[in-house]
Amino acid sequence: MATWILFGTFTLLMLIGTPIAFCLGIASFAAILYMGLPPLVVFQQMNSGMSVFTLLAIPFFIFAGDLMVRGGIAGRIVAFAGTMIGHLRGGLGQVNIAASTLFGGISGSAVAEAAAVGGLMIPQMKARGYGADYAVNVTSMAALIALLLPPSHNMIIYSISAGGRISIADLFTAGIIPGLLLAFALAITAYIVARKRGYPTEAFPGYAAVGRAFLIATPGLLLIAIIFGGVRSGIFTATESSCIAVFYALIVTLTVYRSMSFQAFVDATLGAVRTTAMVLLIIGTAASFAWLMAYMRIPQQMIDFLGTVSDNPIVILIMINIILLILGTFMDMGPTIIIATPIFLPIAVAYGIDPVHFGVIMILNLGIGLNTPPVGAVQFVACAVGKITVWQAMRSIWPFYLAGVVVLLMVTYIPALSLWLPAVFRGQ
Amino acid sequence: QTVLRSSDTHPDGYPTVEAVKYFGELLNERTAGRYSVEVYHSAQLGQEADTIEQVRSGVIDLNRVSMAPWNSLVPLTLIPSLPYLFRSPEHARAVMAGPIGDEIAAGFEDHGVVVLGFYDGGARSFYNSKKPVNTVADLAGLKFRVIQSDVFVDMVNALGASATPMPYGEVYSGIETGVIDGAENNFPSYESAQHFEVAKYYSLDEHTIVPEVFVMSKSSWDRLSDEDKAIFKQAARDSMEKQWELWDARVSESRAKVEAAGSEITTPEKQPFIDAMAPVYSKYVNTPELQDLVARIQATEG
Amino acid sequence: MSSSSHQLDLTGVDPRLATVARVLGRISNLALYIAGIGLVAMTLIVGWQVFVRYVLNWSNAWTELSAILIMSWFIFLGSAVGVRENYHLGFDVLLYVLPKGSKKILRTISDVMVFAFAIGMVVYGIILIRLQWNERMPGLGISGAFRYLPLATGGFLIALFSVERVVLRWAGVNVDKDLHDEDPIPQADAIKEI
Ligand code: NA
Ligand code: NA
Repeated sequence: MATWILFGTFTLLMLIGTPIAFCLGIASFAAILYMGLPPLVVFQQMNSGMSVFTLLAIPFFIFAGDLMVRGGIAGRIVAFAGTMIGHLRGGLGQVNIAASTLFGGISGSAVAEAAAVGGLMIPQMKARGYGADYAVNVTSMAALIALLLPPSHNMIIYSISAGGRISIADLFTAGIIPGLLLAFALAITAYIVARKRGYPTEAFPGYAAVGRAFLIATPGLLLIAIIFGGVRSGIFTATESSCIAVFYALIVTLTVYRSMSFQAFVDATLGAVRTTAMVLLIIGTAASFAWLMAYMRIPQQMIDFLGTVSDNPIVILIMINIILLILGTFMDMGPTIIIATPIFLPIAVAYGIDPVHFGVIMILNLGIGLNTPPVGAVQFVACAVGKITVWQAMRSIWPFYLAGVVVLLMVTYIPALSLWLPAVFRGQ
Repeated sequence: QTVLRSSDTHPDGYPTVEAVKYFGELLNERTAGRYSVEVYHSAQLGQEADTIEQVRSGVIDLNRVSMAPWNSLVPLTLIPSLPYLFRSPEHARAVMAGPIGDEIAAGFEDHGVVVLGFYDGGARSFYNSKKPVNTVADLAGLKFRVIQSDVFVDMVNALGASATPMPYGEVYSGIETGVIDGAENNFPSYESAQHFEVAKYYSLDEHTIVPEVFVMSKSSWDRLSDEDKAIFKQAARDSMEKQWELWDARVSESRAKVEAAGSEITTPEKQPFIDAMAPVYSKYVNTPELQDLVARIQATEG
Repeated sequence: MSSSSHQLDLTGVDPRLATVARVLGRISNLALYIAGIGLVAMTLIVGWQVFVRYVLNWSNAWTELSAILIMSWFIFLGSAVGVRENYHLGFDVLLYVLPKGSKKILRTISDVMVFAFAIGMVVYGIILIRLQWNERMPGLGISGAFRYLPLATGGFLIALFSVERVVLRWAGVNVDKDLHDEDPIPQADAIKEI
């Protein structure tokens, strides 16, 4: 009964539009009142769930992302991508994907990426005769690349949810090849769809223009090296490099680009506060929810149940993927990671799947969920930028979904895609 | 049948987890199945500080935690946390299983819990991600995670390093993300929490032997009949001896494992470390009662 | 959309109610700016720590401990502002299919539930504060009660703002604007990120 109250309250509140952070908190509160335990625990777990040292990196990465969007670093990266590959078939679609890949290397947020790259690319694409749905779908799917390429704060959340014993440097490294693979798969899809619809190409502006755009974008691109190189080599840690990213973004926009007013700085700060508060409140209440699930032994029951269904790792993995895709459709990434990791990670490990590999599977899987209604944060933003409804976008997104699912299957069943690069860096 | 919930931050198979499971088996046997224990290992119910609040308010029935987080609540628990107080793990076992253990246990009752027994926490030493530590001077400038207790903060500061109190479950990512350079613990924890992967320099300075404490929520305890109380006490006592056995086996197993994985173990000379601890003793052993307790511990055979 | 607090359209509302709403708007803005200062302070503290660590080869314990405390403050203050500005991430499938009248009722139920949770934050926050009152936070030397102060404060503000939402909604103010009604090109401040 307590289980029903926990999940029932959560679902009902979700349906009537209660913010997810509160759905999780209220459901936990209701369940604990029903169980007759001191409700204190719900608020204690909420508080300690968000007071985790490793979480410090998250506000910094978000803050740095906001500064890069408002300070023009993001725009210069998009411009560079434009000169480089605008002349390919479906040119601006390809530019969108390339820009997302580059920006994904300095931002961990798919939503920020959809807003930043989409805000610059979608209006241009529409003006050049691309369908709004095409522009929106390329934007929203390419935004998922940011989740896989380092830095990725969702990987930090995953590491914490797994008990803090999974190397963040390894997770960051493990996402690189899957991220590039996703970019490649989307580029092919964008090409095919663009050909079918007869979309234009851009004129090649010449190598001099590419070189100039590259030079202008260099300070932003350097940040990729600082973040990844720093974390991987151990010179800087994730928390430190996230903080350095904030200072770096500020210095570049203030002294090199001279493109940020004090008001823009204030706006970026307040924007980052809003986003961070939202993300971390959800992490807090999801921690209470996860505590209740552990107390009710739900992960254990789930493990026993899956064990009775099959003992074949291939089957188990496909089942976990399907369950995650369903969860990702209805829920957002942060809480799903916090709630699903304690349930599925032990199963995956029992079947010989590496925790780092499983993290990449989960991030990509739940990332696809960010583009499925009813809860699709990335899709909402892309649609808002493109001024179309979610339903209009849904009608023609399927080739891009298909590309995402193919990459997900490859990542799931070819562990080397995730594990080879971390092994190389570890010198094994 | 009553299922008692017990928390532990260590993973399944760890000596303390196994000892509490064994306690549950004994209970089940001796109460003809009326009581059993379910161990929520791996910090499923939260980190130590959280689960202490939970057992005090009766949300969970049992809890196996370190003694150090109790320091601010139960003043006598400070004493066994003092560096270089115990001569050996055997000495610590003899003290905690004897009358001094009972004396310390009595202090918990005002805080909503009853102590069922003390387990061996082994000798703790420093490990870090930066460099081998051979002397006290090598510790300078390093930042260590310590248990959430001021004694540990002062101990680390007295050695010229700096201390960050932090929950156990955050240590791995803390070292990796550079919030800290290392921590201090026994071989089984260093190994089972995979800290050896991120901090390969282990210096066998054996600065403290902090007993683990196995407590029961007072509200759960008060519901037991006197007969059952005796059964619980005896089962805990028996699980203690079981834990000692498991512990000794695990220490050598863990040490072999981390060495095979490439940990560099150094053995610094202990006397300079002991000398550096004088200010800690003068700060915390500051009443005649505490001085007497320290003297009695030192006089205990073992 | 500017980053300052979004202004509710209070035309036609009882002037006394409008005054209360304006005061609450000020409080919300103040909370937002304090949270913003917190984020900047946290950046400076951790930045300073990186500096002393790499340049002066020296480290302190208090930096992260205090950064975490500051983070708690801006999470709870920012969350409270989020309730008033309606930017917390949520979705409302049911509301699309149901008739308009029931929307108002369901949203009111939702706000009442948020209010109940916020009261829980205050009540249990205070209990936790009292439990920790005499404990010192190791390493920082201040009372453990500070750990739970942001929780109780945030709960108080959320309770206030959720009541305001209910009252204003029934007074005819549109407090349920969603992303699609807002400025079409979201700047970072309109980002709803997970
Ligand atoms: Na990224
Ligand atoms: Na979704």
